[in-house]
Amino acid sequence: MLSLIIRRSRSRFIIHGIKISCNSLSAVDSSSSVLVSRRTFSSTPALSYFGFNYGKISNLNQRFGNYAYSGSSFASSTRSLSSEAVAVAATCDGLTVERIIANQWPILDENEGDWKSHAAAIAQSIQVIKRRLQWKKLLVRLKVLSAELNKSDLWDDPTHAGKISREHGSLTGKMKGVMTFERELLEHIDMLKLAKEENDSELESETLKALIDMRRVSKEKELEALLSADNDPCSCYIEVQAGAGGTESNDWAAMVMEMYKTWAQRRKFSVTVVDEAPGEIAGIKRATIKVNGEYAYGYAKAEVGVHRLVRISPFDSGKRRHTSFAAVAVIPILGDGSTRVEINDSDLRIERFRSGGAGGQHANTTDSAVRIVHIPTGITATCQNERSQHSNKASAMAVLQSRLDQLEMARQTAMNAQHTQSLTEISWGNQIRTYVLHPYRMVKDLRTNYEVSDPDSVLEGDLDGFILSFLSSSLDKDDPEH
Amino acid sequence: MIRIFPSLRLTSLLSAAKPLCSSSPAKKPPQYTSLTESKSSRPTKSLSITPKTPLYLRTPSHATSLSEVWKWHDWAKDLASSVEESSKNSEDTLDSVILHRELKWLIEDSIVDDPLVILHRSEIADNGEKNVKLRASLEELYDLWRQRIEKRRPFQYVVGCEHWRDLVLCVEEGVLIPRPETELIVDMVEELVTRDEWFKKDIWADLGTGSGAIAIGIAKVLGSRGRVIATDLSPVAIAVAGHNVQRYSLEGMIEVREGSWFEPLKDLEGKLVGLVSNPPYIPSDDIPGLQAEVGRHEPKLALDGGIDGTDSLFHLCHGASRMLQPGGFFVFETNGEKQSKMIVDYMMTSDLKDCFSDLKIVSDFAGINRFVTGFRL
Ligand SMILES: C[S@@+](CC[C@H](N)C(=O)[O-])C[C@H]1O[C@@H](n2cnc3c(N)ncnc32)[C@H](O)[C@@H]1O
Repeated sequence: MLSLIIRRSRSRFIIHGIKISCNSLSAVDSSSSVLVSRRTFSSTPALSYFGFNYGKISNLNQRFGNYAYSGSSFASSTRSLSSEAVAVAATCDGLTVERIIANQWPILDENEGDWKSHAAAIAQSIQVIKRRLQWKKLLVRLKVLSAELNKSDLWDDPTHAGKISREHGSLTGKMKGVMTFERELLEHIDMLKLAKEENDSELESETLKALIDMRRVSKEKELEALLSADNDPCSCYIEVQAGAGGTESNDWAAMVMEMYKTWAQRRKFSVTVVDEAPGEIAGIKRATIKVNGEYAYGYAKAEVGVHRLVRISPFDSGKRRHTSFAAVAVIPILGDGSTRVEINDSDLRIERFRSGGAGGQHANTTDSAVRIVHIPTGITATCQNERSQHSNKASAMAVLQSRLDQLEMARQTAMNAQHTQSLTEISWGNQIRTYVLHPYRMVKDLRTNYEVSDPDSVLEGDLDGFILSFLSSSLDKDDPEH
Repeated sequence: MIRIFPSLRLTSLLSAAKPLCSSSPAKKPPQYTSLTESKSSRPTKSLSITPKTPLYLRTPSHATSLSEVWKWHDWAKDLASSVEESSKNSEDTLDSVILHRELKWLIEDSIVDDPLVILHRSEIADNGEKNVKLRASLEELYDLWRQRIEKRRPFQYVVGCEHWRDLVLCVEEGVLIPRPETELIVDMVEELVTRDEWFKKDIWADLGTGSGAIAIGIAKVLGSRGRVIATDLSPVAIAVAGHNVQRYSLEGMIEVREGSWFEPLKDLEGKLVGLVSNPPYIPSDDIPGLQAEVGRHEPKLALDGGIDGTDSLFHLCHGASRMLQPGGFFVFETNGEKQSKMIVDYMMTSDLKDCFSDLKIVSDFAGINRFVTGFRL
């Protein structure tokens, strides 16, 4: 069989070289396969790959589309991909995505890993994506739909027929997307082995590079799969409240808030402090920050709950071990498209915060904080960090609106999901993570058992490991198959 | 024309005011001279005063190494933290939480780069050798912060501006720094004109405009057809207000006139559709005990309201009856509970008693009865 390496310039294909390779590259079928060099398609338009549209989570969509193009237009065009018979893609020597996962190859850092590490990472992402799509259910549903489509009297009811064929089309698209991606992975592996056999170092490094690219894309796709709930794309407020214990806890609450600020900055979200009640001696009693950026809520909601710290207190002259608590709540800032709770002006009481004295011309202050109380619910919001009272009021109003929206969401879904809890509802028993600085050093998530031995890096905002492991574990919860 | 000086006693005001009410010509159709015309025909002393450029608008011509800026920041933070101990036993103290926030704003106003390079130094890989561009020399920044803390110079004078509503207004010594409470005057006007378009049709006046804050706020809520006359007796205020009006490109809507209260408005008797003012209302006896930032730095002319603080307010009440057209609205800021009640009582019982309707006392966000509002009958 012929394998062509094709290089594309602008819109023309130029045949670059011809290589002879083994006859059956893929176990899926025996038709010929065209291998396409990765970088050659850099100007293809992005396609929606898996059929779920999460908005623009990253600029990697463009690159991902390239895979889709190379996959579906070349490799898959030669194969039967009907929904009737879903063939399992495999390499020449029978390696499948499931086998890769079963092999448990260690997943190393991108630049340290060999191809096995990359393959394992990609396979893992594919698995998350499949879980998100509820893969087995999807295949069953496709079968049902195909059966319907084959009925001779289908078009007697055109509306029904239209619905069925649309759903069939959409599910097929999603399925094909995943399968093409799987096949792409296996083809790369085949090609890599081939290159090794033939000592073709250029082909080998090119394929390895393609695999790394694919790994990045699949990571992003995995993330999109994890962040697909309604409000995930929203910006959000993060609130931290110190537990009992005065200075000790206030200091811990400030550390937690700092952790989120740096985490958000690293993720290129913008951060503004909305409200902050400092502790008497150190730290904060309570604070609210606004985190602006796409998917801020989707990530941050994984942090809701109580965070526990064990350390030798810097405030205790006796150098004893102390345990402190801080509660974290996260509130999505709903976009204009969503229905928001309507607030009556007459239900509000607006107060100057920390006021005193005669005010007016008597007083010069840069402090124009206001507190807004929503009388029917008793919910309040305060903002003090803007430079005018007008802006403080507007910011506090925005916080109040989001709090009321969240209350309404919790009421409507009636499921009282943990991440919709407000600070006052979070019970101090609901610990989600422990940070131990003494006698040993460790941060452990009690929900996922994800664990890190370097608390400093976590406190400096390296939270993504915790967040992602929590998000993927909650995917399992939603999926009855697991 | 009757002019009342802050020193004039209440009794003389009462007797002098009588004819004013009845003499208001109410039925004349609205007819006003072109704003630009009257402006050019009125030469003012204030033309020679050039308002200062606020810090955040200056050219960033001072390249300074980060490490030097960090050093300044550490010093400034320490100074801000130390204020409470040093002034424990006096009542009029600085609050270090507020000072730290002001320091952050001072940095925001002086630096071109992201202020985080100063505030979040731990995350900067740089060891401080990098240069940042500042709008003031480091020397000046040391000096400014010292003035803030040691001389109790108001922060707004230090940076040369005050954020008020959604505006950034230039302020400097000689002009009152607009207060948060006063924002509500514009809120009230906004509510009124949204409810009733009629109030957008004719001229409004803001007397004792200071930085121009209220006039600019009102012009913005009136929309493109709005017309506001802003007056003040202080040449510095006139210059600064004119400058602020210009910065918001509202020259076509706001005309700044120099003179005492109604004197510059002779051409508009009975024509105003709205009249607002935050006149000096602090009783003279309270002036020596004012907070240091206010008493030592803000202009007395903007604060001293005579023996019980109501000299200008009573004068304004009479003016309102004369200047407003029937249905016209007024709002005055007062010193609080006692003054607002005095004003309303006076308007209901004196010779003004048939001039106004719907007299109301409106409180500020601190719950103090701050404003008196009403309509001309
Ligand atoms: C309390 S300040 C208010 C300034 C500005 N309207 C504000 O709210 O920020 C009072 C203002 O009245 C001005 N003023 C004092 N006596 C005056 C008079 N006789 N005629 C006109 N304006 C006067 C002062 O110069 C000062 O600007």
